[in-house]
Amino acid sequence: MTQNTINTPASPGMAAPATAWLLRMGKGRFLGNRKARLALVILVPILLLTAFAPLLPLQAPLETNLRAMMQPPSLAHPFGTDRMGRDILARTLSGVQISLFVGLSVALLALVSGMILGTLAGFLGGIVDRTVMSIVDIFLAFPSLLLAIGLVAVMGTGVVPVILAIALADVPRFIRLQRSLVLSLRSRAFIDAARTVKARKSWLMSRHILPNTVAPMLVAASIAAANAILVEASLSFLGLGIMPPVPSLGNIIRDGQTYLEQAWWISTLPGVVILAIAISFHFLSDGVREALDPRSRQ
Amino acid sequence: MTFQAEIDVPLLDVRDLRTEFGTDSGTVTAVDGVSFTVHAGERVAIVGESGSGKSAMAMSILRLLAYPGRVAGGTVLLNGRDLCALSERQLNAVRGREVGTVFQDPMSSLDPVMRISKQMIPPIMRSVGLGREKARAEAIHWLDKVGIPDAERRLEAFPFEMSGGMRQRVMIAMALSCRPKLLIADEPTTALDVTIQAQIVDVMKTLISETGTAMMFITHDLGLVARFADKVAVMYAGRIVEFGTVHDIFHKPSHPYTQSLLSTIPSTTALRHQRLPQIPGMPPDMKNPPKGCAFRDRCAAAIQTCAQDAPRLTPRGAGHVAACWQPDGLAGVPRPECSGQVRRNTNRPLRDRTMVEINRLTKQFTGSGTRLFSRKPAQVVKAVNGVTLRVQQGETLGIVGESGCGKSTVARLLLGLEEPTSGEIFIDGLAQMVFQDPSSSFNPKMRIHAIIEEPLIVKRWGDRQARAERVRSLIDQVGLEVAHLDRYPNQLSGGQRQRVAVARALALDPSVVVADEPTSALDVSVRAQVINLLADLKEDLGIAFIFISHDLLTVRYIADRIAVMYLGEVVEYGPADEVFDRPAHPYTKALIDAVPLPDPVTEAARAPIQLKGELPSPLDIPKGCAFASRCPIVTDRCRIEKPVLRQPMKTREAACHYAK
Repeated sequence: MTQNTINTPASPGMAAPATAWLLRMGKGRFLGNRKARLALVILVPILLLTAFAPLLPLQAPLETNLRAMMQPPSLAHPFGTDRMGRDILARTLSGVQISLFVGLSVALLALVSGMILGTLAGFLGGIVDRTVMSIVDIFLAFPSLLLAIGLVAVMGTGVVPVILAIALADVPRFIRLQRSLVLSLRSRAFIDAARTVKARKSWLMSRHILPNTVAPMLVAASIAAANAILVEASLSFLGLGIMPPVPSLGNIIRDGQTYLEQAWWISTLPGVVILAIAISFHFLSDGVREALDPRSRQ
Repeated sequence: MTFQAEIDVPLLDVRDLRTEFGTDSGTVTAVDGVSFTVHAGERVAIVGESGSGKSAMAMSILRLLAYPGRVAGGTVLLNGRDLCALSERQLNAVRGREVGTVFQDPMSSLDPVMRISKQMIPPIMRSVGLGREKARAEAIHWLDKVGIPDAERRLEAFPFEMSGGMRQRVMIAMALSCRPKLLIADEPTTALDVTIQAQIVDVMKTLISETGTAMMFITHDLGLVARFADKVAVMYAGRIVEFGTVHDIFHKPSHPYTQSLLSTIPSTTALRHQRLPQIPGMPPDMKNPPKGCAFRDRCAAAIQTCAQDAPRLTPRGAGHVAACWQPDGLAGVPRPECSGQVRRNTNRPLRDRTMVEINRLTKQFTGSGTRLFSRKPAQVVKAVNGVTLRVQQGETLGIVGESGCGKSTVARLLLGLEEPTSGEIFIDGLAQMVFQDPSSSFNPKMRIHAIIEEPLIVKRWGDRQARAERVRSLIDQVGLEVAHLDRYPNQLSGGQRQRVAVARALALDPSVVVADEPTSALDVSVRAQVINLLADLKEDLGIAFIFISHDLLTVRYIADRIAVMYLGEVVEYGPADEVFDRPAHPYTKALIDAVPLPDPVTEAARAPIQLKGELPSPLDIPKGCAFASRCPIVTDRCRIEKPVLRQPMKTREAACHYAK
């Protein structure tokens, strides 16, 4: 039952429109970028496998098989099995689903709230700016992982608290970035040009400021997504994030850690998957940046 | 090889130089087979518009091109040695030592974290071979020569402690102190004010002839060429189209491009009621260079041959060559229609209706003094100090002055972008603005139709269809096509963007249009188009114009009345012709004298009254006359008693005790 509830927020469903949008914005330049292509070569198969995991001839992620414990990788179990005979590939794919869901939700939450608060602080200035930025500064005084750990400790474990905790730890950085973008845009001549016809502040913010901050903020968001995936894995590894038996990349690695000498595959293969996802998100962000900003290309 | 050639070896002999930039969308040939020579002690000017390849050519000589650029062919012989064949290491010994450089932007060509002494002394030690103490003395000597007061102390200053003009002097001192045989200066005065420019050019000219250094001077300003150069190379689309002595180029120009360029500059004597001759179209896209002559599409003298074969440089007299199939360029063909054409409605009677009234306007900017750790009072910048101006309907007021004189602040106050500290502004109707830099005054994420439509939407003007109609008629009015409406600003050229800016400013039928340096970011050949457009609109619509510029020739051409500003005050105010022909205030006179005129004979005959020093800081305005520190006729009275704007002549006001 638990498995089903986790499967519902299918991550490819979230990723597909976002990717399509990025592709449109880059007008083909994105795909012409070597790093972006490499990222997609890694991400697309992972996404497809994750999406179609139930159709694959694999054991269900939670199904145990005590006759096949600690099996090394084979055709039946490409990633091997763990101490309860569960299929590691199936668990990994299920974990990737959660990871991607967490990563994208965090990025989206942080992006939206960071852009709103950062724009208000940067554009309105004065008391709004001072209030928002004081809170941001307090948040930034803590290391974000520590902050996330603290928040999870307060809010409890599970997917939603993890997302909220990581997003809350990330938002201050987004506010700062958005605010600095807004401050540099605020003095540009086209804002003055709109002010000469007495355009309202809401008009200036929505028509002139926001559209010009989207590109750099998307780059930041894709890095934040990669980071959130790692933080979720770290939290789960520490036993604070997604609780077993629900698989998450972090808790799979934690499970296998004890058997590293007898069964290296339990921890190592999911670890490689995390690495691949994190790297491809970073490449993706480079690709987005270079596609949206022609000046950075050489 | 003849005997003649052996004794007359040029210092620099560039042959068939080609420079390419590899980009994603293909190779751009920025310099396409350029050949010329510079002899010892000669001053050669390279003139061209942006994209003509003049800077790329100069940088190619020392292989200082930025990344995708590379020298693709040709030879550069310096004293007979081919610089293109040298290794990077060998070339480094030539850079600075044999060939000195001065670049355009004095703000970024000095290292901001190093004292001047650190940047200046080691190169002198290396290239002249002096010990540290002697090199230091040499550095002080050169700083003194380029006119830096208190050179010994200034040697230990950081670049940020100096003004732009001072830094450019330091750059020149640095370049010359290594005693190069050739100095390459790339737009060395473009970023500076006209009076500072005059000082710098004067310093360079004197020092170059003292030391016998040859000079390559890259510029887009034909007036500076006339003031400075012995020989001139005119570049267009990566090639030299004409080369000759400064007298040949200015008095017997033979290439249609040179001829048109010279005719587009508003002269001091031109009739103001004639349209400026303009060059149609714009320079070719260097990614797809046209077949045949690159200037063909803009040339009235183009013939069939021009479309097939690019002309080579052929002799037009002793030492004068031009690349054109027509022996006399444009001279052989009838003048194009628009040049010299009399404007419509030349004598529209000015209705006696005041559109703009500014009374004792002041604006002070208070620096944000976080006084957590210091007790210093917040600094107050007095940008505008009691300006009173009036503009009648259908009249154009020109506001001139150097940077920091407050002219742009007056514009911003008029548009309501700043709140005045005191004083009053009355505007009959609506004021709109055309901004200086057409690349930053548009939202890059908006299409042209949205940019023009924006004022209409904000003011809830009509419905969607009426607005679209209005946008189409506006774009037509400024001479662009409906097809341009779907583009983004970066897909338009500078001239086209400025037309869009004008269309947008006209969208709401303003009664006053304020144009802040509307042509200063544009190339010479496009500038005349925009000036004509503004002049036509002024005639047709009868709106009041306020034209703010540091380009005095343009202001004289377009304005009816002129206000000269200095440190936030109007120092002279009157009809344009009178102010120019008989300036009453010594600052106006100095400003006019500093403007380089595109005529070598006039330039040679001018006795430059050198305006000393620089603008005082607006943080600390002198007690008496603001101009006293630089004035050639200053007396003790000026330092104590502040002159007020009075009317020494019937039609004119001037703020000087000695204006007659």
